[in-house]
Amino acid sequence: MFEKKNIGSRHTATVLLMVAVAVAAASARSYLAMRAPGPDVDRVVPHAGFIQKQLSDYFQGIRGSAADTEVYIQEGAEPGGTVLILGGTHANEPAGVIAAVLMLERTSVSRGRLIIVPYANMMGRTHTFPQDAHPQTFSFETPNGNRRTFRYGARTTNPVHEWPNPDIYIHPASGQTMAGVERSNLNRAHPGTVDGGITERLAYGLIQLLKIEQVDLAIDLHEASPEYPVVEAMVAHERAMELAAMVSIELEFQGIPMRLEPSPENLRGLIHREWGDNTDALAILLETCNPSAGRFRGRTDEALILTGADKAYKKAYELGRLYCSYETGAKPMADRVARHVTTVQLLADNLEFVREGKGIVIEGLPGYQELSDLGVGAFLSDQWQSGPVPADDNE
Amino acid sequence: MDLKWIYWAITMFAIVLVVRSLYREKSLREQLVAAMVLVPLLLRALFIK
Repeated sequence: MFEKKNIGSRHTATVLLMVAVAVAAASARSYLAMRAPGPDVDRVVPHAGFIQKQLSDYFQGIRGSAADTEVYIQEGAEPGGTVLILGGTHANEPAGVIAAVLMLERTSVSRGRLIIVPYANMMGRTHTFPQDAHPQTFSFETPNGNRRTFRYGARTTNPVHEWPNPDIYIHPASGQTMAGVERSNLNRAHPGTVDGGITERLAYGLIQLLKIEQVDLAIDLHEASPEYPVVEAMVAHERAMELAAMVSIELEFQGIPMRLEPSPENLRGLIHREWGDNTDALAILLETCNPSAGRFRGRTDEALILTGADKAYKKAYELGRLYCSYETGAKPMADRVARHVTTVQLLADNLEFVREGKGIVIEGLPGYQELSDLGVGAFLSDQWQSGPVPADDNE
Repeated sequence: MDLKWIYWAITMFAIVLVVRSLYREKSLREQLVAAMVLVPLLLRALFIK
């Protein structure tokens, strides 16, 4: 309708230029807010006994970079094994992140050592995927009525830090070729390289952490789309399969079905493969069911992240297209976090059976039903709301 | 060697071309298209670093 009238002029051009600048500035403000989200967003209140380190303490190559992240360690009075829990490898899989944070805030270790990295890829927490419409944050209400807010990020490193991606990514350790975007995916970058891209260097730092701390059991917490076959599953390296099988059976007894998947030998760069091949740790990856990251989902908002309720997924379930149960038409965050926490507890409880003398005793975690009934907020701390509390002195 | 400035320079060059086109066009529709193209370019060049 406009082109025939030729009503464009220098005045309209100037107005449109100003509008473009204003839209760009508003978008930039929203985008950049994720890099400086405020002191209470993503904040953690570690349980008494945890000491804080940085990943760069294990690999100087990421010191001062956006890849550096916090590492929390608690050592029990009695010697035993060392367990590593990793959350946030993919920042758009929130139950894994929240489970790691909850365990950091609740766990007391009486035997062995527990290491928790709640935000493995900080560079995935500063952006969301274009056109996916994900909210930038989600929050829980604590018993005192306060809010605990966390960022909902993306699967890959922010392009600001890792850009441009190649058309084809060649995995350095194996030469295997992958889609170019996988260069920014922490769960394809292992075992990493000293002088590679920032995501590869982050992976290298994590491998150093496992080696230096002599980790016996390493657990990486993830979520998957309901339509993805590897969901509500444990993916175990062959050396960890015995432990994973024992825990899978125990979970079945508790009415928490958890598929058992072997780590494919020819799928390189993945944590469960490379940690198992390159360190002494028993490597296990956990997947819960996350409709907010799936492709069938409809309205994408904070409610979807927290409840997992979606009409399209309900329909897909009725058509037999999903790989996890969706009878209730929802997958609440509390259930997903409870699944992670319960599985980690059982893995820790059973470690002694596969590594004699390397058991670990962790206490203070809520049971599956308790967490599912009371919700995540009931088990998150908000002590700093009443005044500053040192991170390692909150009890 | 960090070569990111090359991408920034290319983006700035694209902005100059699009703004030039915006002012040369007599059709309002074409001007609207140019303005929409400008938004991601401005984002990348000026705000996201």
